[in-house]
Amino acid sequence: MKILVVDDEQIVLNSCKRVLEADGFEVFPVTSAQKALTTLEQEGFSLVLIDVKMPERDGMYLIEEVKKKWPDMPMIVMSGYDIPETIEEAAKIGAPIFIAKPFTPDELLAKVRQVIG
Amino acid sequence: MLSEATNRVRLDLNAAREIYETRIKAIRSPLGVTTLGFGFLSALKTHDAPELVNRLRRLAQNAELDFAGVVTSERTTLCRIGPHSIPKEAVQAANPIANLALDRGVAISGTVVLSKEFLSAEDPELADRAAIRLLPTPRAAPRDEKQETSGMALMAAIPVFDGGDLLGALYGGVLLNRGQAIVDKVRDTVFQQEIYKGRSIGTATIFFNDLRISTNVLAPDGKRAIGTRVSKEVKEHVLDKGERWTDRAFVVSDWYITAYEPIEDIFGNRVGMLYVGVLEEKYVDIRRKALSILVLMTVAGMGLAVGLGYLLADKIMRPVHRLIAASQKVSEGNLSPEIGPISRDEIGVLQNTFKNMIVSLEERDRRRRAESDNRLLQSEKQASIGRLAAGVAHEINNPLTGVLTYTHMLLRRRDIGDDIRSDLETIAQSTERVRRIVKGLLDFSRQTKLDREPTEVNRLVDSTVSLIENQALVKGLSIKFNPGENLPVLTLDRNQVQSVLFNIIMNALDATEPGGKITISTGISLSARDGGKKGVEIAVADTGCGIAPEDLDKLFDPFFTTKEVGQGTGLGLAVSYGIVQRHGGTIRVQSEAGRGSTFTIWLPVDETPERHENTRS
Ligand SMILES: Nc1ncnc2c1ncn2[C@@H]1O[C@H](COP(=O)(O)OP(=O)(O)O)[C@@H](O)[C@H]1O
Ligand SMILES: [Mg+2]
Repeated sequence: MKILVVDDEQIVLNSCKRVLEADGFEVFPVTSAQKALTTLEQEGFSLVLIDVKMPERDGMYLIEEVKKKWPDMPMIVMSGYDIPETIEEAAKIGAPIFIAKPFTPDELLAKVRQVIG
Repeated sequence: MLSEATNRVRLDLNAAREIYETRIKAIRSPLGVTTLGFGFLSALKTHDAPELVNRLRRLAQNAELDFAGVVTSERTTLCRIGPHSIPKEAVQAANPIANLALDRGVAISGTVVLSKEFLSAEDPELADRAAIRLLPTPRAAPRDEKQETSGMALMAAIPVFDGGDLLGALYGGVLLNRGQAIVDKVRDTVFQQEIYKGRSIGTATIFFNDLRISTNVLAPDGKRAIGTRVSKEVKEHVLDKGERWTDRAFVVSDWYITAYEPIEDIFGNRVGMLYVGVLEEKYVDIRRKALSILVLMTVAGMGLAVGLGYLLADKIMRPVHRLIAASQKVSEGNLSPEIGPISRDEIGVLQNTFKNMIVSLEERDRRRRAESDNRLLQSEKQASIGRLAAGVAHEINNPLTGVLTYTHMLLRRRDIGDDIRSDLETIAQSTERVRRIVKGLLDFSRQTKLDREPTEVNRLVDSTVSLIENQALVKGLSIKFNPGENLPVLTLDRNQVQSVLFNIIMNALDATEPGGKITISTGISLSARDGGKKGVEIAVADTGCGIAPEDLDKLFDPFFTTKEVGQGTGLGLAVSYGIVQRHGGTIRVQSEAGRGSTFTIWLPVDETPERHENTRS
């Protein structure tokens, strides 16, 4: 299964890739919301993992765009700013699954399985 | 005459809100009772969907629910009462309230916005009922979409535990879109079906955003005005600014004397409005009638009677008018208005009450000013730590993700020696510690508004104690809860107060050696400070190490901790203090070094609950 990971920090991308690939997922890391959208146009994914705070267009923008164009696409929101306001805002625009950074491999995998059995 | 109408409409809006809240309670209680049943619990434990559906259908019939279901602790729907009672959809629409109840581990109830996907999964008929075409309405704010497809619902969700394990949640609710029960109940009980010129004089409406989704306001064609919208002016005041609005307003095609207030959903977002209104025509007409009766009476030569009536009215009404004028002045900030000579009868009593009220207002005003300097300091501290925390969280949590994941990936390997493994474990533990500190900073800095709901203190304490019980047992401590009787219900932010309790009980656990005792008790108590204001006290007493006298006044400072490096952040009590203070309460500490400590939380009984804050119950 293919997972698109969007985060402006390389270390987060590497971490997600390392963990998810070890569990048999195919991982496509991209560093911005725009790149995520162009990648999604070209390929199908089972899940998008989205960081909230990114320069230029942020994660909330990306969630809205994905919701518009691919309403059924499962998404997981991740943020280092783990407060109810962030979680609720993301939930309100259609991405209710949240994971706080930093996370352990087990925590990340549990969330991913929660979304795509 | 018109201002009398305005007053009445305001009262009517309060009554309407009460009916709205009552309906929420009437969903929440039966759901709560169902989760207590043994049969339900064992069916949930074995994921026996057919049995659960049977029970849910019975429940839905009794409690008149439109939909109901069970969500597992993995947040997937196990079953529901609709036609697709065992879900088959590949990706399930999120259930916002059940997920919140699972996340927080407490029952949640209130207003919820539901997506079309969620509704059609519950029952396609509900999705049809929810869909409302927007009708062109003069004076409404422009809106792009042609149709509303989401629904607004009253819901409750109750988490179900088996011992300490979260098994799932039971949810259920009624869809408000095109529903008539609530608005008609308001009309029938509040306006008692008064009819004026063939139409009911009083009307009620529930808005989803600015859209009428449930109403007995009639459109010119005699049908319910569903799909029309509120005027831009009202929308701006009530939905955008969150104010109550009482005025003359143009509703669909007539002038009404109206009152609106915002409806907040379970997340605290303003998602709609509650409205009551009275046809203005009726009041204009009554005034005309009253005048003509007076004229008639005079003409008929009943001058004497009229004169007597007038004298009486004057004697009673003049002091009352003065009181009304005075209370207006008080509300404008003038605390020593003239209320006229004191008379001996009931009016005198009223005047005296009023005087007392002013005295206590002055008193409160003075105290507020004295406290505010102190508070300013605290909030400045909080604000600067807040800015720091936000920055730190972003900067630290990303690299920390790398450390945490790679360490754990290494730990998964079989081919490493014990020495390397133990080094890696040290890294993992230290990283956990940084994670805790950053999270603590974030929590401390957040000065979010309180999300208050009526709360039974004993239940809240009980649920907190049961969260901690196991840890206490493992540590060899006995933990006991003595609930006080007949406690008043408080309106609290449950999650925040629970985190205060959690902090304080965990501190007691940390301070107490095996064999020690922790006793938690609740009771009614008058505040020592606030002129004997009534409140509820929660005392957490331990037989632990106690607190050195010189540390007592540092306890609540952020980062003050006596715990070993890595054990404490020194933020627990600082956060707790802020939360209790925002509830208008206090935390007291008594301690004797070597013998134990008692932390006492005092929370005031809310005498004048701010109703508009509270759509959730
Ligand atoms: N029940 C208690 N008995 C003794 N000392 C306590 C108790 N509760 C709190 N303290 C003291 O108050 C300090 C601050 O507590 P807190 O703010 O919760 O931070 P932390 O628990 O992270 O140290 C503790 O380190 C401890 O010294
Ligand atoms: Mg603590």
